[in-house]
Amino acid sequence: MRRQLRSELAKLTTTPTTVAILATLVGLAALAVGLHAYGLSTNQLATGSDQRKIFIDVAVNLGALFAALLGALSITAEIRAGTIRPTFLATPHRATVIGAKAVSVFAAGLLVGLVATGTVAGVGAVALDLRGLSVRLTAGDYVQFLGGGALGGGLLAVVGLAVGAVIRAQVPSLVALFAWLLFVENLLTDLAAVHRFVPGALAQALAGQDRAGALRTPGTAGALLVAYTAAALVAATLATSRRDVA
Amino acid sequence: MSRPTPVVAVKGLTKRYGGRPVVDDLTFALDRGEIAGFLGPNGAGKSTTLRLLLGLAAPSSGTAHVLGRPFAELTDPASTVGAVLESADFHPARNGRDHLRVLALAAGIDRARVEKALQTVELTDAAGRPVRTYSLGMRQRLGLAAALLGDPALLVLDEPINGLDPAGVHWLRALLRTFADQGGTVLVSSHVLAEVTQTVDRVLIINRGRLVADQPIAAFTQDGSLEHAYLTLTTAATA
Repeated sequence: MRRQLRSELAKLTTTPTTVAILATLVGLAALAVGLHAYGLSTNQLATGSDQRKIFIDVAVNLGALFAALLGALSITAEIRAGTIRPTFLATPHRATVIGAKAVSVFAAGLLVGLVATGTVAGVGAVALDLRGLSVRLTAGDYVQFLGGGALGGGLLAVVGLAVGAVIRAQVPSLVALFAWLLFVENLLTDLAAVHRFVPGALAQALAGQDRAGALRTPGTAGALLVAYTAAALVAATLATSRRDVA
Repeated sequence: MSRPTPVVAVKGLTKRYGGRPVVDDLTFALDRGEIAGFLGPNGAGKSTTLRLLLGLAAPSSGTAHVLGRPFAELTDPASTVGAVLESADFHPARNGRDHLRVLALAAGIDRARVEKALQTVELTDAAGRPVRTYSLGMRQRLGLAAALLGDPALLVLDEPINGLDPAGVHWLRALLRTFADQGGTVLVSSHVLAEVTQTVDRVLIINRGRLVADQPIAAFTQDGSLEHAYLTLTTAATA
């Protein structure tokens, strides 16, 4: 699979898509955390817990979404452009292609998660400071925020790949991810018993989210998210191996 | 002496979509050094046959083998078969050289061959430009470069003449002839009957998924024009 992995990594770096995703993410994350830091009242930003909650909300929501989009694009762009045909001609064993894509988008998703959390941590700290508030996050908070955010991004990228592999059409795949991560998961926040187990909420728990109802054990959240990702990957492999390529 | 394994062996190949056969009990074989023209009206099943041969679609029944094996079981597919299926199989924002490099990496082909393939199709100067800036003819040539990357024994080309100007057609004809003279086998689908007469050694005509003719090109030129034979065979079978 090493050849295929090198090929997939080259695919990610030879079109402007990855850079465009990262640049858009930096812009949106900076804007969102800046608006929160300026817009919210000082008593909503005073404690370390308040600040962490806002940082995680902004960074992990955006990071998970952009990582999932990148994952879905890694296969739907190939199907849309037709390059999936030469890809499968070079590697007829399609499970190997999906495996290589999973590893490459996991790595890219780690980067997306890290860029999201890094931007929010940096811009958030500056914005709070300009407002005369001190940053109350501890070193341990930062480690979990950056590390959990990156891991969540990596796993959500693989989930996005699986959604793209099963749906295949690009626009419906991206709409499905937007609808789930931005709309359905938001609706479910009123049902804490369910919401704590959805992928976006698990990614937040990994980064240290401690709002009411969230899983407070990152290990459990990570294990569940890994299980979802593995199940999605199995579905993607079966769907890709069994169906004809147009 | 036993006959060598055919480069392409299609036996009883059938593909049904929703119960309707698109490829219907197709049988033919190609040997080393042959250029076979694969002709038929739109929707006759040419492209589906090529996709079945290349493992992109699974047959409903029958077999399609390359050098004795289904495509999916070839140990080194890129050095066995090179294919150009559609002129649109490129990411528009990726440049020509990177398109080949991505495929070469997956097939374990070294970088020098990428440059050689670019030279062969005369695209070295344009290799750094995104494919979206290429003309249709340039895309066809880039597709051919990808097919030639692994120095394959068999070339499978679906309508390669589309978009080529007369000089390009002349160039392609010479390339295929050299390839076959060196022992390579070519299966080329086409609508341009006049061009086929000048390029191929053998003609396979398919209509409604069934093979209606499989003869040396000389057999058609003796009877009159290939066009006449083609129209008779494809309209007679339709009626």
